[in-house]
Amino acid sequence: MTTLITIFLVLGLSVLFTAGLRTASGTDLADHITNPQQRPVLGGSDPKMHAWQRFHVRYYTMTLVFVAFEMEMMFMYPWAVVFVEEGPKALAEMGMFLTILSVGILYGWREGIFRWE
Amino acid sequence: MAKLASQAPVPVFVAQGDDAPAETARLCLNSTLTIVETPRAAAILLVAGTIPASLIPNLHRLHDQLPHPRATVFWQAEPTDLLSEAVTVRNDDNLVSVLTDTRSSLLSGSHGTEADLLPDAPPNEWRGVGSHGQGGKGMMGGTPYGRPMAMTAADFRDGLELDAYTADFGPFLPMFPPGLVLTLTLQGDVIQKVSVVHLPFAGEGNAGAALLRLLGLPALAKRLLRGPSDDADFKRLIRLSGVRAAIPPGLGCAPNGSDVRERFERLTTDPGNPSKVHVDGVGLGDLLIGLEWHEAMLVLNSFDDESLRAICANTSSPELEEKNGDSMDHEGHAGHMS
Repeated sequence: MTTLITIFLVLGLSVLFTAGLRTASGTDLADHITNPQQRPVLGGSDPKMHAWQRFHVRYYTMTLVFVAFEMEMMFMYPWAVVFVEEGPKALAEMGMFLTILSVGILYGWREGIFRWE
Repeated sequence: MAKLASQAPVPVFVAQGDDAPAETARLCLNSTLTIVETPRAAAILLVAGTIPASLIPNLHRLHDQLPHPRATVFWQAEPTDLLSEAVTVRNDDNLVSVLTDTRSSLLSGSHGTEADLLPDAPPNEWRGVGSHGQGGKGMMGGTPYGRPMAMTAADFRDGLELDAYTADFGPFLPMFPPGLVLTLTLQGDVIQKVSVVHLPFAGEGNAGAALLRLLGLPALAKRLLRGPSDDADFKRLIRLSGVRAAIPPGLGCAPNGSDVRERFERLTTDPGNPSKVHVDGVGLGDLLIGLEWHEAMLVLNSFDDESLRAICANTSSPELEEKNGDSMDHEGHAGHMS
């Protein structure tokens, strides 16, 4: 019962705190934000097109290699702990896992990720 | 509460015009003021010097981006027609006390906030083509918030067709030399195209301080603005900061072989005697295309005003030629109403 009261008390307090913050945060948020104020800051210039755009994330191959090696290590630590108990079964599992990951690494290699620029 | 708030430094956004007073750059040394980098953080818009007629619509757009309560102070400048109620400071007045007084009266309510100058309407109707106004050309649809979506264009690095964003930047952008308006086409933050809309104002220039601020060393920038920097301490601090290594070698190379690094050293060690760069035939396109945004800003701020104006004049700029022609009034009006 005490736990339940505590939960409701904390919940009530957090609602009160949020409501208080929202009230105290001034009139700016409550007011209507006009169109001239919504304009992005370009130092006085007017944008002719919407800023929503697609551009190439040039570091994506680097991310791929990072994820490949990081996932490898994440699995290897627990694997090393159970390897002695499980024996060849664990070895086969790790072999399969590394094969799948190496596809990503090979793809990165083909994309020229290991070439120093 | 208002009393306490009025004791805090006054957040001021400076819109620098032509013939701005020489003290404008040194306003940041005053502890009662905070010179902010964006109009969103300012309470007072300080217009220093004359704003040319073609840039008045830009000033009005900037004015409307300040949050309420806001006020405008014209310093050695004539107020524009729409801002005729604004505070005006002449030569002999004490600017800082006017700014602090305006801020206090804004907070106490005795000086009412300034209303928007531009109409509260989107620049275009928020409708695209199609029976429900839902789309545009190909996959890029509609005009959300009254602005058309960016269309695809080939990236000059590898021809990959992604969205090219084109916009005018300036003339009151803190990282731009005052008065400079450029139309830049960007893919991500890499500059693909550049053309000049308005030349930077001629002035004394504080390129050294601007570069130090861009490189994240505002304290050293203030020290440079405070006076002659021939003391060994300043040079040692610059060396210890390792800022030289932060500027890529060979960046913004001029025909005489000087790069941003070399010009930066000259500007910080001998600011009274800026090196004259040989800029014949060099346009902004030669210097900026292919650079990322932060590198381009370093290049723009590394030249003295005279050289930068010459470089801008060398740049192909259809907008500038058009504006110099008959269509100037029409352009200004259209920009103002949007």
